[in-house]
Amino acid sequence: MKYVIQYSMRDFLRSQKYFPPLSTFILLMVVFYSYKPNPVIDSYAVTSLMMYVISAWLCTSFLALDSPVQRQLMILHAGGKNHYYIGKFMAIAITSTIFTLFAFMYPIIFGMFQENVSLSVGFISLMNHFMLSLLGIGVASLFSRIFMNSTVNSYGGLALTITISFTTIGLYEVLPTMFKNLVWVIPPAIMTQKPLMNWNGQTLSNIEWFPFVWILIYASLLISIFFILVKRKS
Amino acid sequence: MKNFIELKNITKKYGNKTVLNDINFSIPSNQVVALLGGNGTGKSTLLRLIAGIEKPSSGNIQYASNEIVIGYVPERFPKNLRFTPSEYLSYMGSMGGIPKVTLEAKMRRLLLLFQLEQFKDIRIHELSKGNIQKVGIIQALLQHPDILILDEPLSGLDKESQEMLMETIKELKDHGSTIILTYHEANLLEPVVDKTYFLVDGKLTSTKVNDSARKLLIINSMNKSYVKDWEGILQIEDRENQLYLYVSQQHSDEILFKVLELKGSVEAVSPIDSMEEGREA
Repeated sequence: MKYVIQYSMRDFLRSQKYFPPLSTFILLMVVFYSYKPNPVIDSYAVTSLMMYVISAWLCTSFLALDSPVQRQLMILHAGGKNHYYIGKFMAIAITSTIFTLFAFMYPIIFGMFQENVSLSVGFISLMNHFMLSLLGIGVASLFSRIFMNSTVNSYGGLALTITISFTTIGLYEVLPTMFKNLVWVIPPAIMTQKPLMNWNGQTLSNIEWFPFVWILIYASLLISIFFILVKRKS
Repeated sequence: MKNFIELKNITKKYGNKTVLNDINFSIPSNQVVALLGGNGTGKSTLLRLIAGIEKPSSGNIQYASNEIVIGYVPERFPKNLRFTPSEYLSYMGSMGGIPKVTLEAKMRRLLLLFQLEQFKDIRIHELSKGNIQKVGIIQALLQHPDILILDEPLSGLDKESQEMLMETIKELKDHGSTIILTYHEANLLEPVVDKTYFLVDGKLTSTKVNDSARKLLIINSMNKSYVKDWEGILQIEDRENQLYLYVSQQHSDEILFKVLELKGSVEAVSPIDSMEEGREA
């Protein structure tokens, strides 16, 4: 598995497919922090959402790296589909973590905040970045070229799903009562926004934990579905 | 002789299309087995099923052991790889769990054998078609395979490399490997093949194919690469500037028309009374 990760990361760098998400991400960060000082919790809540989108993009790019024949060969060499795809997800997770650490450290290093980042705020914000990155990876995996025949369907379907996931709160307001529960099907990307806005940042005990747990469950479900579908796909 | 691979009632469908229909056959160990048939008859699909890359829609494939190593050479090895042969083979071998020292020695030997040593540090997408095909063959030989599956392995290889591959196949067989392959260049691989199966309309036959529905076309002034992928071509033999095309009766007129269109000259057309028999060595 170690060599699937190394192969994939090196191939990703050589493919230069890192450039569009990386340049977009840096541009977004620089523009977002162009004025200072900024509130810590609110700013990190927004950059976490950026990581949701960027991680989804990274996942789609990574899973499109290998041609179908190369994928078959790697599966044979790696000893099975699970080894291959776990290696791929690890490579995506490592890359996404590098982006996340940049999103977390950039405002601290360049003094973009109006106050110091406390341990509790830092922990929750970093966790939120990781959770939303994982959610982005989970969502994108189901729209990858492994299941989609065309790039348009792959990127288009993903872009649509991400857009819908940003409108969950609005949708919940306009949906008739009997359909309101349908929003649970939509990726819970903005579910942690409200508890973060309502949090005073003092202690970990007075923040609502359920949204974070739900994101973890939802992302895990999506990745499990990915592995089930891949196993069935001949 | 002990069966090494056994296929029972294998059917493979893609959507509504049945590519393989109730295939039953077994391959003893230490054999070279050829699967022949026209384009689109399901040869590559059957090879992928045996390699375990795809699953049959129904039926099952049994191997003599769960620990067997399978080497697979695809018909179209990826040509846009962003690695050098050295890097690529090193990754593939490492993924397969070959210790570093063993892997380096094996790579060195195979790169020399297939005359790829001088190209080992050039990225694969910059190599010629033949050299890319060699990388595809070497990756399958890195771990000594118990089963080596080769889909049109000679395609694109120069004469020396074709002979080298033949020697490698013989060597692997001598060391106990089972080799399953498909080919068009019949005259080259025939000497190493122990048994031949024919795929016709998704069915497998080990004896002769439907002779009454076949023709032999002898063509002058025509390169094999032109005709290789035409529908209805069952087998191609390259004999002293002439192409011997074994074609299905159904497609023979169409193939003749294409040959003439490409300024090829037709030396002879004849029905086939007895085509290749399944041969036991």
